[in-house]
Amino acid sequence: MATVPARQETEDEDCSLLPLVHDIIKCSMDKDSQEVHQELNKLKTKIQEAREQISAMPGIELSPAEQQQQLQTLREQVRTKNQLLQKYKGLCMFDIPKA
Amino acid sequence: MAVSDRSTKERLLSVLDDLEVLSRELIEMLALSRTQKLPQPGEDTQILELLVQRDGEFQELMKVAVEQGKVHQEMQVLEKEVEKRDSDIQLLQKQLKEAEHILATAVYQAKEKLKSIEKARKGSISSEEIIKYAHRISASNAVCAPLNWVPGDPRRPYPTDLEMRGGMLGHMSNLPPNGVNGHLPGDALAAGRLPDVLTPQYPWQSGDVSVGMLPPHHSNDFTLEPPGHNKENEDDVEAMSTDSSSSSSDSD
Repeated sequence: MATVPARQETEDEDCSLLPLVHDIIKCSMDKDSQEVHQELNKLKTKIQEAREQISAMPGIELSPAEQQQQLQTLREQVRTKNQLLQKYKGLCMFDIPKA
Repeated sequence: MAVSDRSTKERLLSVLDDLEVLSRELIEMLALSRTQKLPQPGEDTQILELLVQRDGEFQELMKVAVEQGKVHQEMQVLEKEVEKRDSDIQLLQKQLKEAEHILATAVYQAKEKLKSIEKARKGSISSEEIIKYAHRISASNAVCAPLNWVPGDPRRPYPTDLEMRGGMLGHMSNLPPNGVNGHLPGDALAAGRLPDVLTPQYPWQSGDVSVGMLPPHHSNDFTLEPPGHNKENEDDVEAMSTDSSSSSSDSD
């Protein structure tokens, strides 16, 4: 789990594919095809890595709205259970109900 | 399906697929443009703009995904908290059940006690009355003979001969109510100790004395002795009736 945030930060900083596309176009303009192939492989590798990272990222199986809803539900559950516990603990068990 | 309904993962993968396709098309198009004329002028620009747009979308989605990762961590913490609260509530519930059981038992026992108190209250006798009665029976030497009591002394230890005849045992034995050897008048006896000859004798007194003192026919008049009567029983009765350590002497 500790490695995930580091990978996320890397992804966050360097998740654009445009520089690689730019390099490929640049190479294809003025250099030989060998270097273009290398750049193309880099792009393919980058896309594959991005897919793997996306698959490994936690918490993105839901849309942000659904996730927020679940978060609110959980907060509400914790609040309700805390209130229930406080109520039970604060009960005066020896109060005699008056008829 | 609306865009907001799709999961972030699906959207990311979809945008990534678009990026892959668009970048491939752009590269192929540029490669072809070196050898041939472009099929439609401006198409490469459109693809490039689309690529830039999708790339921007991808970066935005990645930011959203990172935020969702943080929210996911918060949710995990909350889930653990919910589990802990659940176990606390279950523990508390168990303790409350135990307390309920103990209290129910205590209430049942208390109700039983109240019932018996109520029952006792209905048939109550005042303690003053009991104390008065105790004084009465001890003051009249009913439970213990006086210290200086001798046979013939009207300060009787119970029962007297007349009372024995009048009681249940006397009726069962068909004894005449007035015994031959009844008490003498109290005044005469109370004046002082009687001579031995006049001293009345009772069948529950020591047999050695009474048999020797009384005429022979007297021994047949008193048949109160039970079949199992013996010397030991006599001693017991005497010891009980002349006990000096009872409450009668204390109350005097």
